[in-house]
This record gives sequence, structure tokens and C-alpha cells, in this order.
Amino acid sequence: MARSLTGTRIRERRRGKSLSQTALARQVGISASYLNLIEHNRRGIAGKTLLAIAENLGVDARSLSEGADGAHIMQLREAAATAPSAGAEIDRLEEFIGRFPGWARLIDTFQSQSKFQNETLLALSDRLKHDPFFAEAIHMMVSNITAIHSTADILSDDQDVPPDMRRMFLDNLSAESARLAKTASDLIRHFDTPDQPEQVGTQTSAVDRFFERHGFYLAELESGDATVEGFLEAAGPLSDFDRADLAAALSGYQTMARALPLGAFLDRCGILAFDPLRLAAEYSAPLETVFLRLAHLPKDDGLPEFGFLKVDGSGGVLYRKQLSTLNLPKFSSGCPLWPVYRCFGQPGQPVRAMMNTATGESFLTFSVAKQQPVNEFGLPPSLTASMIFTTGFARFLPKAERQALAQLDVGLHCTVCPRLECPARRSGYILG
Amino acid sequence: MSRTVLLIEDEPHIVAALRFLLQREGLTVFDHGDGQDAMQKINSVRPDLIILDVMLPGKSGMQILEELRDDSRTRNLPVLMLTAKGQKKDREAAETAGASMFMTKPFANEEILRNVKALLDR
Repeated sequence: MARSLTGTRIRERRRGKSLSQTALARQVGISASYLNLIEHNRRGIAGKTLLAIAENLGVDARSLSEGADGAHIMQLREAAATAPSAGAEIDRLEEFIGRFPGWARLIDTFQSQSKFQNETLLALSDRLKHDPFFAEAIHMMVSNITAIHSTADILSDDQDVPPDMRRMFLDNLSAESARLAKTASDLIRHFDTPDQPEQVGTQTSAVDRFFERHGFYLAELESGDATVEGFLEAAGPLSDFDRADLAAALSGYQTMARALPLGAFLDRCGILAFDPLRLAAEYSAPLETVFLRLAHLPKDDGLPEFGFLKVDGSGGVLYRKQLSTLNLPKFSSGCPLWPVYRCFGQPGQPVRAMMNTATGESFLTFSVAKQQPVNEFGLPPSLTASMIFTTGFARFLPKAERQALAQLDVGLHCTVCPRLECPARRSGYILG
Repeated sequence: MSRTVLLIEDEPHIVAALRFLLQREGLTVFDHGDGQDAMQKINSVRPDLIILDVMLPGKSGMQILEELRDDSRTRNLPVLMLTAKGQKKDREAAETAGASMFMTKPFANEEILRNVKALLDR
């Protein structure tokens, strides 16, 4: 069983506040020697004493008793796994996070950057391998070069080439050279995108960044004090695609906010227990619009926080709002057991399920797949699916009802999922 | 009697160069630039050798090759495949489908002439 490190965290927080053991013990109403035992994890601590210590240290009691969140620990474990020869002391990870939270955050940041750069490299590599324009351009260039090479050889040959043929070959050379130059220019232009590597592989990054920067809530747009155009202008330089993408996302947000005005919506949420299906029925609104509304609420301790994921039929991420406890993929798909992927089988049928990760987090999820408008005959519909998820379900979903839901044991991504026997596994576990 | 080569290739300037080279060697040359009706052309020309590009509009050179090998009249007809891809798997796929020889673009004129002669002399 893992050693409780509550005491270690208390000691580090106390030191961070330059508070002596004696002073804290006095404030809490215990002896300094007892606090010393607690801080060295030789005495368990809970209840009133823990609450009193937390209050005097100005921290949340849960942060002392539970320590770092699972995502943070997972991130550092991944960092350690990337360089096993460094011999990072995995068994003392929580202690490390408790004692050196700043250094731990720094490693977490580096690990995030490293993962992002690796994903970017993979996306670039994939783009080179499978980019249809690139393949076509290379094929065309090889053909140009073949024609030029063969024709030039004929012309440089000592053997006589009749004047009319010579004229024709020179014209051919000229035409092929011009085609080659054009193809080369097109190719350069194709790869000469703005210096924003994070855009490779998915076109949602500018939208993601924008909404992250604004905390996924645009009060001014909702109140009418700002316009879509105003936000676009303030967003600074963007590629044409990103500008159009962001404009579409902002217009979608505005439509959603007009259909479901915040004040009245929150009142209804209080009555309908944040149930998206009942909210959709109440407003005669598409379920996906209600999902968007729930994922774009102002930050408020009284409101559950919802994450959001929208994917296309290939699993590609179209839009995401992460929660600190659930890292969502950016370039690749996540765990195939997530309900957002399962609901592709029954478009329009909402799915409610509990998602339980191997690291112990539980999420209440709502998902639905939607058929995109069809403008041609004879092809099956293309689908997108959306999922919202929250850890704040205890506030609005009774335990009995929650337990009656489908319980899905899922992971984040196979490479970091310790469920080794999972039938949906598609790549190896790198942390074992 | 002059021997006949059918060149199935959709790039007209490559065709022009190869036609000139092959005719200079005394061969009769026909050409065709579309995969869709290539089999009809083959059956009407009855060539001694086919130079067949892999990437063609209408139907790929690989499909045409398979049809040739399925037909008793053309099963043993020498076919020199041309491709812009020189990967091992492409070469293996061509050999499996029954190509007599496989060349990667761009090629040297002497090399393709040497290979054409070798195939015609088999």
C-alpha cells in the first residue's frame, strides 16, 4: 500500500509560508512534537486536525490529503519513462511533487512541450507520407525530369537528329522545364505555411487556443458588448483557414448563446439537475447545442465544470475543452472505449455513461453522434460526435442513479493506460 | 520484319523521346495514353513488346498487366514496367503481377534501349 504523504505535504506548505513547527502547532492546538510526527508521516491525520492545519496554511484540505492530481502524476511518470536510464525514483514521485511542487510543474511543462513536439513531428512525417498533393507533385516532377533527361540525352547525342525533330525536342524541353518550375513553386507554396507548427495535423488549434485564452466563456459576446468581428480583429494575425475556422466557431458560440441565454439557462439547470436531454427538450434545442452551452459556462464554484470533445468519423479531434483531470488528444484519437466513439453506431441516440479511468478518476459523460448535412446521392452520411464530461456530477446526480449507469473502464491513450489485457489495446504500454 | 513496340504512357514528351529512340533502332512504335481501353489497343496492334507505365488515367498499369497475364494470347508477351516509384514493394508487386522487367523513372536512354533489346531477344 502506498505510504501516506500528507505529512510531507504539510511540512512543505508550512516551510513555504516560513512558519515554524511550533507556531503552526500552537495555531492548530496540538503539540509541536505531535506535529513533528505528523510531518514525518509517522502519525495519520484526518478530520478536524487536518481541516485546522489546512485552514492555517491557507490551502484546501484535499490538496494536503490527496496530493497531486492523477494527470500531474501521469505526466511525470511519462517523463520518467522517456529516459529510464536517468533512474528517476518513481516510487517517491508523490513525495517529490509534495516537496518540490515548482520543479514538478517545470518537468510537467517540459514533458507537455516534448509530447507536443513529438506529436508535431509525427504529424509532419504523416503529412509527408500521405499528403495527396505532395505525392502528386512528386510524381509530376519525376515525369518532368524523365522527359527532360531523356530529351536532353537525345539532343546531346553525337548522332544526327533531323532539324524538325530537334526543333520539337527543344520545344518539349522548354515546356517540361516550365512545368517542372511550376510544380516546384507549387510545392514550396504548399509547405510555406505560417510559422505555427501546432497547426499541423489538425486545423482546430487556433480555435482551441482562442477559447483557452478566454476561459471558454465570452461574456462580452453573450451580452452583445462585443461582436464576432471584434473578437476576430483582436485575435491578431491568422492564416485564412484559421480565421475562417475561428469565425465559424464564434458564430456558432453566438448562435448557441442566443438560443440558450445564460441567466435563464442556469435557472433551468438548477431545476433540471443539469440534465442535457431535459434541457434540450425544454428549449427545443439540439442536444449538441446544450452540450456547447454546458461546456461554456463562467467559472463558478457553484457550477459543475464540463469538458468537451468533438470528433469526426476518423477520430480526428475537431474541438476540445480539457479538464485538468482528463488530457484529451490533439493529433490522435483517444481511448476507443470512450462513449464519444461508441455512439457513432447509433447516430442521434444520446448516450449517458460513467467513464472510470485507471488512475481513479470518474466522469459522468453525455455523448451523441450527429449526421452532417448531405448534398449528394448515394453515399452514407458523414458523422461527427460530441461528448461532455464532468467530475462534478455528485452535485446533481444521486449516487444510486449514478451507479445504475453503464460503468466504462477506460484509459486516456493506450501508451499510458495500464489496463494491459484491454481488448481494445492498439499499442503497447510505455510506463510498465 | 520490323518488330513492334507498344508504348502505353500518358506523358507525351516521354512518349516523343522514347518513340524517337526506339524508331532509331529500327523498331515500329505505337503509343497509347489511356489505361481504360489499353487492352483493345494491345489486341489490335499485337506488339512484340509493351512498355507499360504504372500510373495511367482510367486504369492502372498493374491492372492492365494482370489482364494480360490472365489472357492466354498475351500471357507470355514481354512487358517492361515503368514507374515513378522505386520502392522495393512496388518492384515486388510488379514482379508478382508478371512484369518481365521493371524500371524506375527517370531512366537513362541507353539503359531502356538495352532492356528493350534484351526482352525482344528472349
